[in-house]
Amino acid sequence: MDERSIGHFEFPILGRAYFLGGRASTSVKKALREAGVDDDTVQRVAVACYEAEMNVVLHARSGYVSVDVYPSRVDVAISDRGPGIADVTKAMTPGWSSASDEARALGFGAGMGLPNIKQQSDLMSLESEPGQGVVLRLTFYRGGGNGAGS
Amino acid sequence: MAPDRDETTVRHMAEALGLTVLAGSACLDRPIHGALVSDLLSYVMASGRAGDVWITIQTHANTVAVAALASLAAIVVAAGFEPGDDTLSRAEEEEIPLLMSSQPAYVLAGRLFELGVR
Repeated sequence: MDERSIGHFEFPILGRAYFLGGRASTSVKKALREAGVDDDTVQRVAVACYEAEMNVVLHARSGYVSVDVYPSRVDVAISDRGPGIADVTKAMTPGWSSASDEARALGFGAGMGLPNIKQQSDLMSLESEPGQGVVLRLTFYRGGGNGAGS
Repeated sequence: MAPDRDETTVRHMAEALGLTVLAGSACLDRPIHGALVSDLLSYVMASGRAGDVWITIQTHANTVAVAALASLAAIVVAAGFEPGDDTLSRAEEEEIPLLMSSQPAYVLAGRLFELGVR
């Protein structure tokens, strides 16, 4: 973990702005491609980032995604200001969701977001301060990793 | 990028299934590698592979974000559901072919399978 970051990007995420959802993740995908990261890693980051971004859109007031590119890995942190997660274990359970009926009607809230993120990433840590927000930290090893998407 | 002669492209699918092209008409020569049917966005993010066609009845702009992030070949909106202008403009922007049909998803999937998309 003592490598030097060779690229750093940050993009904002607006809570409740359903129809802007995916903008930050799309920017991350483009930035990683331009940084020369391999397709498989870019794909895994894009999928995980989107799920995390939609969690912010659906549940929080605002947030941002921060990305650091290293020679051997990509680190992503998604931080938000919002209600936080009261029970992280429950939130990680496939099928469990606290999304609104409105969100579910749009095809969100399947309870697959955090499990998807865990599957796509190589390392995942979730810190939550109820009433304050959530910080989700992800690591993706470049050119190999968990092989998801291949 | 010229596709292989025997490779099914979005254009080939649109003609064979009688689909209406709503957006992304500049990207119709994209090859199709597979397909999936779902109205759950997370399912598509988890299961969609690059080059898949996504058949859905969801019409909002987030479908385009999902397709772009998962590197899907195209979105086909089934059963006569009509995407709004914001979805169309997002599809143009993200270069995702967006097509529609009055046929239900089940029928479209069956015809796509018959075309050799597996």
